[in-house]
Amino acid sequence: MTALLEAIDLTVSFGDRAGWFRPGQQVQAVRAVSLALQPGEVLAVVGESGSGKTTLARALLGMVPIAGGTVRFDGCDTAAMTAAQTLAMRRVVQMVFQDPFGSLDPRLPVGAIIAEPLDIHRIGTKASRRERVAELLDLVGLSPDAAGRYPHQFSGGQRQRIAFARALAPGPRAIIADEPLSALDVSIQSQMLNLAAALRARLGLAYLIISHDLAAVHHVADRVATMYLGRIVEVASVDALFSTPAHPYTAALLAAVPRIGTGKRVPGDALGGDIPSPLAPPPGCAFHPRCPAATSLCATEAPALRALRAGHDVACHHPLGAA
Amino acid sequence: MGRFLASRLTGAGIVLLLKSFVIFALIGLMPGDPIDLMMNANPETTPEQMALLRAMYGLDLPITSRYWTWLTAAMHGDFGYSRIQHRPVLDIIIPALGNTLILTGAAFVISTILAVTLGTIAALKRGSWIDRIINLFAFAGISVPSFWLGLLMIYLFAVRLGWLPAGGMPRPEQGMGGMLAHLVMPVMTLVIVETGGLARYARAAMIEVLGQDYIRTARAKGLTDRRMLVRHALRNALIPVLTLVALQLGGLFSGAALTEAMFAWRGMGRLILEAILGNDYNLALVCLLFVTGTILIANIFADIAYTWLDPRISLGKRRR
Amino acid sequence: MTEAAVSVWQLRWRRLARDHVALAALAVLFTLYALCFSASWIEQWFGVTGIDTDLMSRFDPIDAQHWLGSDEAGRDEFTRLLRGGQVSLSIGLFAALGSSFVGTMIGATAGYFRGRIDMVLMRFTDFMLALPALPVLIILAALDLTKLGFSENFVRSGDAGYWRIVLIVTVLGWTTVARLVRAATLSLVEREFVLAARAQGASSWRVLWVHVLPNAVTPIIVATTLRMGGVILTESALSFLGVGIQPPSTSWGSMLTNAQELMASNPLLAVYPGAAILIAVIAINFVGDGLQSAFDPRADPH
Repeated sequence: MTALLEAIDLTVSFGDRAGWFRPGQQVQAVRAVSLALQPGEVLAVVGESGSGKTTLARALLGMVPIAGGTVRFDGCDTAAMTAAQTLAMRRVVQMVFQDPFGSLDPRLPVGAIIAEPLDIHRIGTKASRRERVAELLDLVGLSPDAAGRYPHQFSGGQRQRIAFARALAPGPRAIIADEPLSALDVSIQSQMLNLAAALRARLGLAYLIISHDLAAVHHVADRVATMYLGRIVEVASVDALFSTPAHPYTAALLAAVPRIGTGKRVPGDALGGDIPSPLAPPPGCAFHPRCPAATSLCATEAPALRALRAGHDVACHHPLGAA
Repeated sequence: MGRFLASRLTGAGIVLLLKSFVIFALIGLMPGDPIDLMMNANPETTPEQMALLRAMYGLDLPITSRYWTWLTAAMHGDFGYSRIQHRPVLDIIIPALGNTLILTGAAFVISTILAVTLGTIAALKRGSWIDRIINLFAFAGISVPSFWLGLLMIYLFAVRLGWLPAGGMPRPEQGMGGMLAHLVMPVMTLVIVETGGLARYARAAMIEVLGQDYIRTARAKGLTDRRMLVRHALRNALIPVLTLVALQLGGLFSGAALTEAMFAWRGMGRLILEAILGNDYNLALVCLLFVTGTILIANIFADIAYTWLDPRISLGKRRR
Repeated sequence: MTEAAVSVWQLRWRRLARDHVALAALAVLFTLYALCFSASWIEQWFGVTGIDTDLMSRFDPIDAQHWLGSDEAGRDEFTRLLRGGQVSLSIGLFAALGSSFVGTMIGATAGYFRGRIDMVLMRFTDFMLALPALPVLIILAALDLTKLGFSENFVRSGDAGYWRIVLIVTVLGWTTVARLVRAATLSLVEREFVLAARAQGASSWRVLWVHVLPNAVTPIIVATTLRMGGVILTESALSFLGVGIQPPSTSWGSMLTNAQELMASNPLLAVYPGAAILIAVIAINFVGDGLQSAFDPRADPH
């Protein structure tokens, strides 16, 4: 099966822009990441803030310049795509942002916001667009008269529904959601999750969910990838990852989760210390200064991501439960 | 600090060089050149003679090579002669500069003190009739054409009442009294025009400071002595005001063209006007460059003053 | 949905409507424009003229026909004031709009594309900003347009004088708006709704036009309003110095040039045009100030 969206050895660097007389200072926000989103699946990328997960999401959409590696959409290298092909990709891969107060243009009425993708991709006539907006508002559980109002007249949860409706407007195959729930109240979070699950079943959508919270993705994700300082350190199905985490970092994240569905306590200690600055990442395995199981090998040599068993990859010299 | 200063000065030098070319080129596009003017004085000049004269003065060369000739001479300290006054340009500029500094300096000091005082009063009495009246006066000052204000003053104080001289420079034998009498009206004009904007700025800065936490805390702690409070707040409100004031320092040297012209005050502003309107190219060019240079230096100075007053900002990092 | 459907603009208008000073200033300004641009009807009504000279009625006193008397050439002072106002007020409007347009384009380009484009444009802005404004304006106003290849006829026409002033005031006046728009654009392009539009594949043009500029319109409106006052003052100064509006055309500034010489005998002729300038500019500044507080984002609902 061809992956819908795939990163191969993807590296993204940031930094001061180089001036005329001086070189820029570079930070690698995403380092040699390989990850694939299959059609119809829900993939979660989890990590602390600063782990590069948001940058990864934006790089997959071509929103930030890529320093190395490739992004493939339907098997095509996005760097080699024509403008028309890129536009076609943007139509079927939609994004939902973290902050529902920032992602809606305050000067536009909700109807115009939801219709914007239709406008950009020249889908339908004026009248059919209006119909489509009403249909989408209904789909996300808002009344049709919302189209004439402005974002500031809605609550956070309602705004996120509007953002969701906008993402659904052009009939996407995948939605990349960057912390879609973290700005919302818990009760509204569960409403949104139910909505997302219902739409997935109905429309056959694939989701790439970016989150800092493992517990939040437990019930929605098919697969989970954990990210640390720009690298993917573990990828597995949600059950495997929650029951037998192989990377000490994943284990530590799980230990920080107060209660897991099974009630079992998972091996590993809660995480101490802070994430190091990506400007000066530690040598070897980037996690070793905080890792309870670190050895001298970890301080010198960076572990590669390798298959522990089928469908369970880990980047660790001493994976848990494998010794 | 040294590096900052060096880079800023280099930048200012480049800007100045660019400006000298732009102004040189613009002045070259003004009506009439020296030869036209000669021809007006002596209508019998033939076109052949004119062409010869143009060639002699190098006026048939392209603008870039004329500019280059001028620039090389200027670099050697030779700024040339004034066409009208037949004197070296520098001999004309220096006394004009002295006159301008007397006028603009006096107006600057008075308007700054007045603006800070009025702004503070308005901020403390925010919303009251005093605030409104100060605001109205500030707006009137911003909105009034200075030359018209000067005209009205001359009519009232010189023509009708005969209290003050209508304009011109005091003669040396008139002494201090003569100087003051000649200064009153132009200084008043400048003060009225300049105070308005600065007073509104000072008021806004003061209101901002008064609304800040530490002032509220001081008040809540029972710091009821109004004078203490004002002194406390004023010190902080003065930082942005003084920065603005420092930015205006460059204007001191360029003089106030319209006001100086109205009152026949022999300052830089009037000199520039006369030079431009009288086709005195070289004088106009050198005056304008001098004025631009002082503005650029004043801006650098304002940056330094700002850093010195507000330690949160470090030099070099700040983009202007 | 927490409140009735009110747009941001309606809220702002309500705030402005509570500001009596700004409303009064707005009314004064509208009246001035309306009066000036109906000058020819008013002339017909009173049977007077602000253009043609009438040497039999020089310095007529104030009466029912000549509301403000007549001037040294026998022209009706009141309607001449309205004629001059047409020029001064329309130059104010056009040059302010022109400066805002240029400033908006330059500021938005610099803020949106950033990097070297930004650096070059901002250096250019600094360069313009540090020019000694009045002297350069005088030079530009006095430039010999035939040396730039314009025909003699065009240069001598009244239109050339008018549009030359509009143009040079525009050319030197866009810097404030450019800086404001650049600052607004720099912060707006970091906002998520701009990212959202780009993620949809919106073109730079669309992002600027639909998302950035409408959100930056507040400072532009305020700056344009305040700029109008500045333009009127500048035009009057240039015309007063004899390099602005040339006879037979007239503006408030050029009326003052003539009046200056008659100061001793007919001081009122010098009072009217200056008072007209003062009233117009002060009204504009009060409107601008009112807009500024009505548009204050701290008062906007979220």
